[in-house]
Amino acid sequence: MSAVAPPQPRILHLSLVVGGDLVDGGGGRLGEVDDLIVRLGEDEYPPVSGVLATVAGRQVFVPADQIAEVEHGRVTLRTIRLDLKPFERRPQEVLLKGDVLDRQLINVDGARLVRANEIELARLEGWYRVVGVDIGLRGFARRLLPRALARNVGSGTFLDWGSVEPFTGHVPTVRLRVPHPKLARLHPAQLADLVEAASHREGEEIIQAVGHDPELEADLFEELEAGHQVEFLEERTDAEVAAVLARMESDDAADLLGELAEERREQVLDLLPPVQRRRLRALLGFDPATAGGLMSPDFVCVYSQATRDEVLERVRGSGHPAEVLAWVFVMNARRRLGGAVQLADVLRADPALRVGEIAGAAQRVHAEADLEEVARLMTDFDLTVVAVTDEDDRLVGVITVDDVLELVLPKGWRRRFGLFGED
Amino acid sequence: MAAPVRAVLAGIRDRVAHGRRPRLRPRNRATARLLTLFAFLGPGLIAANAGNDAGGIATYASVGAKYGYDLLWMMVVITVSLIVVQEMAARMGAVTGKGLAELIREQYGVRWAAFSTAAVLVANLGICISEFVGIGAALGLAHVPRYASVPIAAAVVWLLVVGGSYRLAERVFVLMTIPFFAYPVAAILAHPHWGSVGHAIVAPHVQLTSGYLFLFIATAGTTITPFMQLYVQSAVVERGIGPDELNAERAEVVSGSIFANLVACFIIIATGATLYVHHERNIGTAADAAKALVPFAGRYAEVLFAIGLLGASLLAAAILPVTAAYVISETFGFEKGISRRPRQAPVFVGVITTLIAIGTIVALLPGVPVIGLLVAVQVVNGALLPVTLFFVWRLASNRELMGEHANGRTFNVLAGATVLATSGLSIALIAVTFGGFFGL
Repeated sequence: MSAVAPPQPRILHLSLVVGGDLVDGGGGRLGEVDDLIVRLGEDEYPPVSGVLATVAGRQVFVPADQIAEVEHGRVTLRTIRLDLKPFERRPQEVLLKGDVLDRQLINVDGARLVRANEIELARLEGWYRVVGVDIGLRGFARRLLPRALARNVGSGTFLDWGSVEPFTGHVPTVRLRVPHPKLARLHPAQLADLVEAASHREGEEIIQAVGHDPELEADLFEELEAGHQVEFLEERTDAEVAAVLARMESDDAADLLGELAEERREQVLDLLPPVQRRRLRALLGFDPATAGGLMSPDFVCVYSQATRDEVLERVRGSGHPAEVLAWVFVMNARRRLGGAVQLADVLRADPALRVGEIAGAAQRVHAEADLEEVARLMTDFDLTVVAVTDEDDRLVGVITVDDVLELVLPKGWRRRFGLFGED
Repeated sequence: MAAPVRAVLAGIRDRVAHGRRPRLRPRNRATARLLTLFAFLGPGLIAANAGNDAGGIATYASVGAKYGYDLLWMMVVITVSLIVVQEMAARMGAVTGKGLAELIREQYGVRWAAFSTAAVLVANLGICISEFVGIGAALGLAHVPRYASVPIAAAVVWLLVVGGSYRLAERVFVLMTIPFFAYPVAAILAHPHWGSVGHAIVAPHVQLTSGYLFLFIATAGTTITPFMQLYVQSAVVERGIGPDELNAERAEVVSGSIFANLVACFIIIATGATLYVHHERNIGTAADAAKALVPFAGRYAEVLFAIGLLGASLLAAAILPVTAAYVISETFGFEKGISRRPRQAPVFVGVITTLIAIGTIVALLPGVPVIGLLVAVQVVNGALLPVTLFFVWRLASNRELMGEHANGRTFNVLAGATVLATSGLSIALIAVTFGGFFGL
């Protein structure tokens, strides 16, 4: 957990500011402070852009430029006079108490969800800003106790705002307007963990936030569990689903397609580029519990007479993901799988040699082999990629270690655990 | 590419039918069908059936013994109320993906959340103790000393909840409701006059005596309990049921509530056909009711009654600590879930462990005033119910939160009336209990 020591300026606790008096420049009480408004976005520490207060039974908005000082129990105005303006939400503005306090936030450094028990403010660079959230018991206790006692609960350590990203999907006008730039610091697998741990709406917000980067979005979908993939694809149009699938790796995409309803599957397939459509159709034909269902049709297979440079040219020219290229497969004149060689060995080989001369025997599984057999073979021969062949011993696909690992990993190991769980 | 090894369609059907991840070996048909059946038996059934626990059985047995079938009509009304309330909670779980305690905290603040949490903890601990007392009593009928039966039962319940996966735990919970079928059988063995039963349901026979009203209130209180809403909502969330599966979950809640209350009706019929008819009208505990059945309905009725009591008490002994753990974890934002191991969610598991441990110890202590304890539990539950119901009702009709799935206008009026009536009864129960306890 990344907790920071309180910075130099005095820390203000939101729960002690809200509920305090709104007083004019002369010290006269005007009303009660209901909430603080901050503008999310550019600043690392979001500035207070106004105060929401009840004055003579009406809720009014006090813009930041009228505020002289914010203290526990009191917000003081610059002037004696108060312009009574009704509150209107402006883009990127959220109410600290109404929209952030008590809700879930993403702790980006720990890649987990936390709940804001207290929001900490401080005067930084000339103005009041949110500096962090307290997720510990101190913040909770302060909120629980009556005001007189709550004052005595000092500040503990808190999470710096720099490592926190709030959900804003429930805020009426903010939706879609606040980017979540900090989420880009997370690995797709961590993002997927968060999506799985969060509620549906919050998960949707995370996915939308990474949506500006289609590659990252596709990676996130690859990492999601099947049930969640379907949950989030259900509300999308066929074209959107196709766009995500097109960027996913073929084997993962085929698994996901298999989860969709049958009539939808055809419509989505039709929207995919022809090459991908053919591949996915072929993969869908295999039982998902067998090697055929696990494999990816992306691999490099060359004739045994190919030279080193020809092989390297094929590797360079293929758009396949790096992990399947760790091994290059060699076929004989009758297109049967003859051998396999690691890419590194090809690089180190004498340029004059033919690839058939440096390749060793290829370990293979039949397309109908089950996961146990695949996992055993890969373990016995220390393989990162294993060849999958059909009845005629022709190479039809490869299985990479990452796909097998995902399936053999015990269920409880998949997710990292949050607050008070396996830190 | 070569011809696929298996038929294309078979592969696809496999994926669709089993969802989730590929399995090592495809399941055979019979297992698949059984699992589909389990999918219909879920949180709604478990929550409602946990209400037919030792305390519930004692109440229903008293109703039957004292007033025969006179109060059967009320079970219909209570069932409708239970369905209304449970449906709202399940719907909220499916739509928001959050537990009730979480929503209370987000929408009504820390203090209400803390109050509800504290009350749930006390109430559930109290009921939990009574479950272990019930387990001891049920096995006591089979001459198993409670010093053996209660610790063993506690260990089994703990291992199930803490050690297994959520799916496994839920399935075992569902299996635990099988003993409930003992009651219909016990009722049939008791040879009731079915014509009178039917008549009592359609033509209410209301008595304005204090005893009648007390049992009326007590029955409502034991059939609709705060933990049921809390459990059903959290379990729907943990099961990962989304808005798309809402209708199936609704059906599950409705059928589960009806099943639970049918069981209650059969208890009333069984005791009404025997004890009431033979003027054996004062029943203290569920075990008394079982024993009392022997002379009139034979040994089997007693055995069946005891089996039902054991299943119900085990189920509730598992559900109540789990509910308390959900609520505490949701309120404070701890890691939660039945599928979590102790290392992953120590607070969640810790709460469960503590409740089971205290429940066991107190149930075994000699000289613990069980009746006084039950009275106190009833008071806490009675005070908590209006609060939970009010939140359930308000939150489920909150459009901002629930969107298109918020309560409709008509339903909201019905729900409001149910909440008010049930809360009224539960406050009346507190008054009556206090009055009774202090002999006023």
